[in-house]
Amino acid sequence: MVTRRTLIKSLGAVSVAAPMFSMPSIARGQSAGRVVVVGGGFGGATAAKYLKRQNPALDVTLVEASGRFYTCPFSNLYLGGLRDFESIGHSYDELTDVYGVNLVTDWAEGVDGDAHTVTLASGEVLDYDKLLLSPGVDMRWGAIEGYDESAAQLAPHAWKAGEQTQILKAQLESMDDGGLFILSSPENPFRCPPGPYERVSMIANYFTNNKPNSKILVLDSKDAFSKQGLFEAGWRELYGDMIEWVSLSNDGRVVRVDAENLEVETEFGEVHKADVLNIVPPQKAGAIADAAGVTNEGGWVPIVPETFESQQVPDIYVVGDATVAAPMPKSGFCANSQGKVAAAAIVASLAGQEPPAPSWVNTCYSVLAPDYGISVAGVYHVADGQIAEVADSGGVSPADADSDFRRREAEYAVGWYDAIARDTWGTGA
Amino acid sequence: MVPTYIREKEDDMPKAPTASAVTLSRRTVIALTANAATLALTPLGALAQGGGAWSRVDEALAIVGDADPIAEGVVLDLPAVSEDGSTVPLGVSVDRPMQQGEFVKAIHIIAPGNPYPLIATFNFTELSGRPEVETRVRLNESQTVIALVELSSGAMLVGERDVRVTVSGCLARADTYDTANLFTTRVRVPESLAAGESGEVLTMINHPQESGLRESMDGGLVPKRLIERMDVTLDGEPVFSADLHRSVSSNPYIKFFMTPQSGGTLDFTWTEDTGETAHESAELAV
Ligand SMILES: Cc1cc2nc3c(=O)[nH]c(=O)nc-3n(C[C@H](O)[C@H](O)[C@H](O)COP(=O)(O)OP(=O)(O)OC[C@H]3O[C@@H](n4cnc5c(N)ncnc54)[C@H](O)[C@@H]3O)c2cc1C
Repeated sequence: MVTRRTLIKSLGAVSVAAPMFSMPSIARGQSAGRVVVVGGGFGGATAAKYLKRQNPALDVTLVEASGRFYTCPFSNLYLGGLRDFESIGHSYDELTDVYGVNLVTDWAEGVDGDAHTVTLASGEVLDYDKLLLSPGVDMRWGAIEGYDESAAQLAPHAWKAGEQTQILKAQLESMDDGGLFILSSPENPFRCPPGPYERVSMIANYFTNNKPNSKILVLDSKDAFSKQGLFEAGWRELYGDMIEWVSLSNDGRVVRVDAENLEVETEFGEVHKADVLNIVPPQKAGAIADAAGVTNEGGWVPIVPETFESQQVPDIYVVGDATVAAPMPKSGFCANSQGKVAAAAIVASLAGQEPPAPSWVNTCYSVLAPDYGISVAGVYHVADGQIAEVADSGGVSPADADSDFRRREAEYAVGWYDAIARDTWGTGA
Repeated sequence: MVPTYIREKEDDMPKAPTASAVTLSRRTVIALTANAATLALTPLGALAQGGGAWSRVDEALAIVGDADPIAEGVVLDLPAVSEDGSTVPLGVSVDRPMQQGEFVKAIHIIAPGNPYPLIATFNFTELSGRPEVETRVRLNESQTVIALVELSSGAMLVGERDVRVTVSGCLARADTYDTANLFTTRVRVPESLAAGESGEVLTMINHPQESGLRESMDGGLVPKRLIERMDVTLDGEPVFSADLHRSVSSNPYIKFFMTPQSGGTLDFTWTEDTGETAHESAELAV
């Protein structure tokens, strides 16, 4: 019988006979080490900054496709009419000017894990000793029949902030009062588990103020969702019956999209027609993770919990939404927290030291109305080689809180955003 | 609580690297973790060895009897990591033609780490067409899920697959069941099929599928209440049936295939453990 132990032993023999690992890389460069970071979002920008903070002698290059980063967090508040678009945009000035990170505004196309190089769209090739990827998610185009990149121009996902968010906002603004907004929400895992429900809350806020006869339908591929009890109670209290949620077992799963006609078809054949259609499709790790060979068959990146180094390719660290880090959710807060852990592990490894024992925190605020916030929080550590939630570390807002409590949580949400934006990009809101 | 063989497995997992290890061995450990994980996911047939997890599970041994299961041709499709053990999508397909003589008679699904390991048995006929089924199941913990396949010849195939179950931090949920739509049934059948063409059939019934193990608000247990069986016939001829147990997710969902030679009326019957039944029918044009 083949047990895991025999397998490992025999594989061990093979590996020793044909070593496939490069020598410790410090020997290669003059600096304390060359680190390339791909992705200047929550995970990558944080990692770049903390790498330089912990060891200013490191040569850190950040490759980011866009010159300015718009956050998904609070993009729902923009849709709800609570913020303007520029308030969720952040520049990389602090990283370059204060911390001395080299910023390359380009698209990373390929990674050669053996040669330790990253190839950019421009053709430029960057050498690294350590590579950190925080590419976020990509949509699984075609996972829902008819939903591809061109369909997303008509029925936006708005699950990456930027042009997509603005398309959705413009559509909501030009919709007539009395219209129907449909959001299709995916199965787990996906970016920001409470995000779809915060979004419909914010759109309900916008409708209530501007188009009060409009309706919202959530078609869900799940039977339960994050902070469900709190959301549903909040919806009733704030928006009456404006929002209807259809679960998986009530035929909520969308299997086909007709973006031209703003129609969706569910698993058991019901067709719904929207005035504004928002499809949040199934997702996977950003493309560069595939190119680097660090994804699993599910399209996500398995990592070593202590360091967030890839389980599959040495010297490549991956953080944020792209990773399999459950029970940590795919949140900006987690990406930021993981970015710090990976930065510390890289700094330690390049100095020939042990990585510090990690722990991570997460709080996800959701804003249901300008003065109504709810939250879920957790603290995570490594137990038995796996990431686990620290017992009794977190939880959700109380179900019976008064309006004052909800108002304060909405204020904390703003405080949270300000703090994390400062920590990540050095720019508040 | 944890069956011994699972604990053994976990002990066998290479420990996450410590930085005191020299670079080479540390890398080795990482690479091996990946390789071992990949191998554990391939059907055991790829290893050309007998004696998988099934051989240590009473419920599996009871089904296997005197047969000698071959780890070959069974693809058990489950997410490697599931963030919600209460509904884990599960698919099984068997690489065997459904021909006269030797067809797949039944597929049994077993989760040894669950309090009641046998999850379901799916029964096929020559009308079933493709030996393939999808459903949603409950998994109590990380474990190796087993699919035992019975062929009409009496031979058996087996497929196994490791699943890690975690609960994602943002997914904390209230564990209640809304009975508003109890016994609502849904089916979806192909609009039309050519004779001998195989088509997909989707079924779902709204039902809590109470395992009898769930705590109620007052601290007691919510009584067991299960859809135990689903039967599908075409003009009275059996096409497909399923025996469902406690670890089938609430709102039992089953997708299967059929390859009819002629059209007719498809009848679906769900039977609860109380004896109560629900029906649905659909016309199939061939
Ligand atoms: C509507 C919504 C609301 C949300 N609200 C919250 C919230 O309130 N709180 C919270 O904590 N989280 C929230 N999130 C989740 C949060 O946005 C993500 O978890 C977070 O952005 C993940 O960080 P990341 O670094 O993995 O990816 P991202 O932040 O998406 O960063 C990825 C970056 O990499 C760049 N990139 C990718 N590939 C390449 C490449 N090949 N070359 C160059 N650059 C590349 C991209 O341009 C992007 O800038 C929300 C998400 C959504 C959709």
